[in-house]
Amino acid sequence: MRTFLKACVFSLLMGTTAAHAGTVTAYTALEEDEIAEYVAAAKTALPGIDLKVLRLSTGDLGARILAEASNPQHDVIWGWAVTNMMDPRVLALLAPYKAKGADKLAAPYRAADDKWFAATGYMAAFCVNNERIKSKGLPTPKDWADLLDPKLKGEVVMPNPVSSGTGYLQIVGILQQMGDEKGWKFLKDLDANVAQYIKSGSRPCKAARAGEFAVGASLAFAAIQSIQEGFPVTMVIPASGAGFELEASALMTSSKNKADAEKFLDWTLSPEAAVIYGKYKEIVTIPGVKPAAASEKAGLPADVTKVLLPIDFAKSAVERNAILERWQKEIGR
Amino acid sequence: MTKAADRDGLFVAVCLIVPLFCLAVFFLYPLSMVALRSITQPDGSIGIGNFAVILSSPNFWRAALHSLAMSGMTTAVVLLLGLVVAFALHRCRIPGGALVMAAVLLPLLMPSLVQGLGLIFLLGRNGLLTKASGIEINIYGFWGLVIANGLYALPQAVLIISAALRSADARIYEAAEILGTSGWRQFRDLTLPNIKFGLLSAGFVVFTVTITDFGNAATIGGDYSILATEIYNQVVGQMNFNLGAVVGIMLLFPTVLAFYLERVASQRQFGGGSDSAVPIVPRFTPRRDVPMTVVAWLIALMPVVTVGVVVFASFVWLWPYRFDLTLRHYAVKVAGGYDPLWTTVTISCWAGLIGTALIFALGVALQRMPRGLVKPIYFFCMLPAAVPGLVLGLSYIFAFNAPNTPLYFLYGTAILIALCNIFHYWTQGFLTTMTGLRLVAASLQETAACLGASLPRVMRDVVAPHVAPTIVSVFFFLFMQSMVTLSAVIFLITASVSVASVSIMRLDEAGFTSQAAAYATCTMGVVIAASILLRLLLALLRRKTRA
Repeated sequence: MRTFLKACVFSLLMGTTAAHAGTVTAYTALEEDEIAEYVAAAKTALPGIDLKVLRLSTGDLGARILAEASNPQHDVIWGWAVTNMMDPRVLALLAPYKAKGADKLAAPYRAADDKWFAATGYMAAFCVNNERIKSKGLPTPKDWADLLDPKLKGEVVMPNPVSSGTGYLQIVGILQQMGDEKGWKFLKDLDANVAQYIKSGSRPCKAARAGEFAVGASLAFAAIQSIQEGFPVTMVIPASGAGFELEASALMTSSKNKADAEKFLDWTLSPEAAVIYGKYKEIVTIPGVKPAAASEKAGLPADVTKVLLPIDFAKSAVERNAILERWQKEIGR
Repeated sequence: MTKAADRDGLFVAVCLIVPLFCLAVFFLYPLSMVALRSITQPDGSIGIGNFAVILSSPNFWRAALHSLAMSGMTTAVVLLLGLVVAFALHRCRIPGGALVMAAVLLPLLMPSLVQGLGLIFLLGRNGLLTKASGIEINIYGFWGLVIANGLYALPQAVLIISAALRSADARIYEAAEILGTSGWRQFRDLTLPNIKFGLLSAGFVVFTVTITDFGNAATIGGDYSILATEIYNQVVGQMNFNLGAVVGIMLLFPTVLAFYLERVASQRQFGGGSDSAVPIVPRFTPRRDVPMTVVAWLIALMPVVTVGVVVFASFVWLWPYRFDLTLRHYAVKVAGGYDPLWTTVTISCWAGLIGTALIFALGVALQRMPRGLVKPIYFFCMLPAAVPGLVLGLSYIFAFNAPNTPLYFLYGTAILIALCNIFHYWTQGFLTTMTGLRLVAASLQETAACLGASLPRVMRDVVAPHVAPTIVSVFFFLFMQSMVTLSAVIFLITASVSVASVSIMRLDEAGFTSQAAAYATCTMGVVIAASILLRLLLALLRRKTRA
């Protein structure tokens, strides 16, 4: 069977290399506006490569990658939640590759077996609607604990951890920070004030910025984007620390154009790419990149590592099923 | 004569085999892959372990109850409103009937995601109507879902009920009139029994499409968990396709039940077309028509306002804070720009043409089949409505992303997306066509055949003109749905082939809500322009054939 598959792959390779010399297909969950700029820069830097990008949300992309696992259509995964990447079924599809510059990343930002590396990441933050806070006379929360204020009852929205990776990283942040016992008690107390657990990670911010609710526990990127658009929103990074997620990249074992795919992965770690990351990303793991002016204006500290919780991603990936099961049993609606 | 019979037999065989072959390859085969996944246990063995996991989960049963309650309520409301609108359009004289029909169809032109946004813009906690009235209602949840799904299902119900109401024999009503039968009794004893088939079909469609829809649940469903969200949680939230597949399979059960009930109930159908039927031309009856006008216009107002607020929001600087008008949201530079919109038009045209041809051919063939054969085929034509788009889209990956199969060349192409759309909406098209075909008198066809007309000619000259309005509405239904559907195609787009609804979703995900509204407005504009163009073409053709 395996030789047959290999023969198939080989014959396909014969057919496709001629037609698509230099094509690299990347599956990504990076944000829409940044992709446009990265792709333009990558195409200038790598003129011989025809870069094709499919962008889907983290969850949709996961379903797609696993459904296509028997015959992957992409060469690289580019900027996808590391918690999802650590799924054994996904890891099995990846080829180890030491990308140029990966050795400069600190240990938590790359796999020990070189199967993935993460140049960027995103973090949790609250989107607080100033107008709703003012008109209802509510206090502006500064930390997770402030969300327990009875005045905020029915004014807090969060992503549902069962459907959203952002939701999961938020509760993992709380559980790893407070410890199991205190953490679960806190989540249950918080539940009393939560109006809705929304299906996606950025939607709570959109609901808050539209004035539907006062506080949306969401992502810093969504908050910064909303502030740039002109919504009356304040970004609040939980004072005791924010949960975060890494955006990992990897090479597919099945890639029919590994040479070019590797060149592209190298580029994602290049100083040139790092400069653009700085424009959009809250978290850049490549040393020496400063956050963008807009992010700082929105309230992002110059050194975000100070506000990030020490998340153990391997632990969070292993415990995922158990945590979600418990969440559904004790809290889920 | 025998030669002619042979030729007709061949025609029926082709009409039967081609659509059935496509149904098998592009629907049943992918669905079987889902069934296989549902019984593949975590360790790779085959067994019912996944079913045990799902069936023992209280979340599943709660979601199932919620789904039944929500879809049941939606079906009841939509059937009532749909009957009122269709009756007003076809059996009453109301001013602006065409406008009412167009208004009711509007929700078919927008992805459900955008419609959900529209409802939140209106009725959300910070919505226009909420602020104007000062009452903060909670739209998120059961009632939000009923309203959103109702808006989406109403046009489908109206299409099917209209096909049933379109023809009836005016002489029967005249006779009733002479006998002094009251209008209400005519409705109860003549109209209702005659359109029972259409009503049941419409009810079936409304129930199944609302129980499988995920888009509305994500935007406006709040914490009200339904089966479609359970599938999403498993597949997208936790990358656990096999458990999602189990819920997908479970969703087929209410549909099978609904199908059975519908069949049992419609067996006592009488009527159907008669060769000498005189079409009904309703006379103006103030006692009936004035209230019907008011009600029909009120019902038509709901989709207009919901869609209208989205269009309005796309021109507003910053919803809901700065209401100065602007065109800035129309400069869409990310998410592929406007290119996917044109790809979608091509895909939708193909889906409309191929789908309508297949469904019409199958309908014609089924009319000439023995009843025993028709039943199972009918059943398989009902199933697509019960399969959630998400499940169908993933099943296409399993079925067609296999290099050692002959159809692998289709994978990653626009034509596969078109095919997926056809079978996603097959049931609605099929039911509308069958309802329309029932009304073509068998005796008329027989007469033509006796006069020596070949079957293809009978089709062209006798049947087609009778059901032309139905065929056209099926084409438009498939075309429109292909323009806006999201749940299945999201798994079939590639880096090079993408569609408009995905761009809209991507814009919304990236936080550009107003740009998403602008994109949706453009999509709607294209569909409306295409519809007008096609209607003009049809009118021209008709004039030519007459001359």
